[in-house]
Amino acid sequence: MKYILLILLSIVFFITGCSTTPKPSQKIVQLVGNCSDQYISIEDLKGRIKNDGFMQAQVRGRNLTSNYIKVEYKIVWLDENDFTIDTILSHWSAVPAYANQPFYINVTSPNTKAKSFNLYLKKEGKTTLCQK
Amino acid sequence: MPKINFTLSSILAVALLTGCGATKTINIDLDNDKKAPAVMGLDYRDFQKTAQEMIQSLVSSGAINKPNGGRYVLVISRVINDTMQHIDTDQLVKKIRVGLLKSGKVVVTTAVSANGAEDNMAMQARKDLRGNAEFNQKTVAAKGQMIAPDLSLSGKIIQRNITVDDDTQQVEYYFQMTLTDINTGLAFWEDEKVIGKRGSNDSVAW
Repeated sequence: MKYILLILLSIVFFITGCSTTPKPSQKIVQLVGNCSDQYISIEDLKGRIKNDGFMQAQVRGRNLTSNYIKVEYKIVWLDENDFTIDTILSHWSAVPAYANQPFYINVTSPNTKAKSFNLYLKKEGKTTLCQK
Repeated sequence: MPKINFTLSSILAVALLTGCGATKTINIDLDNDKKAPAVMGLDYRDFQKTAQEMIQSLVSSGAINKPNGGRYVLVISRVINDTMQHIDTDQLVKKIRVGLLKSGKVVVTTAVSANGAEDNMAMQARKDLRGNAEFNQKTVAAKGQMIAPDLSLSGKIIQRNITVDDDTQQVEYYFQMTLTDINTGLAFWEDEKVIGKRGSNDSVAW
């Protein structure tokens, strides 16, 4: 009886392939600080380490005005010791924010050493840091 | 009357000495140069923006992730300048390869390229030093040590000039890049970025 049970269990494990299930990527959610104003609100800011080791950051914001805005942003990537990673990808970029519509910033880290990031937004010449 | 002549001469002299009408030379702050007017031709801002977007596209695509780990060896193929400007395409390519090198997923070979070896010394040192009694042969690169490339990066920059009206012209620049797997000849990654400029017909885009 015991042998039959063992064989049945082995068959079940074999069919479901329990040992090959990929580990889900680590999800890192950061709280939004003082990024929002009367023009733009940052609704969500999150990051995750992908299976290939690169970090992915996603920001969801909203244009609160009735006009098109070009939102300038910069992501500074940090390693596990909170040291900045020197990269061309940390220069200012722009994302279109259409009137009264949400906008998304979706970026990947320059290398696999990135473990967190800081988001900076530039508004009317002033730079704001959005972080925990 | 002599007094007026003297005043005019003085003003003229001051104007000449201060370089009246001459544009003052300044150093550009490359990290904060938004106030500078855009130009119809391609400038460093365009190359930086395009390189940034291309690197971002490449690292997020997963095309440079070797399935069994390790790094791909990349060779720079031909990047064609099909614009009316004299552009050294390395202005774009160098930024991209630096970004890829820093990704830790790719290493670039300078021993071969579409136009011959980028660094002739790698091959020359072998030819000149191998068998040369003046050199300790244990320190000379042995045969069969060079690594052949896995991937090839090629591209093209295209320019289109369009007349909008009598006074206005539009110039479109297309940056096209392809990453090819040399073994199979298949393109692992491709992307195109467009930069558009609209300005006076008096401006010259070459």
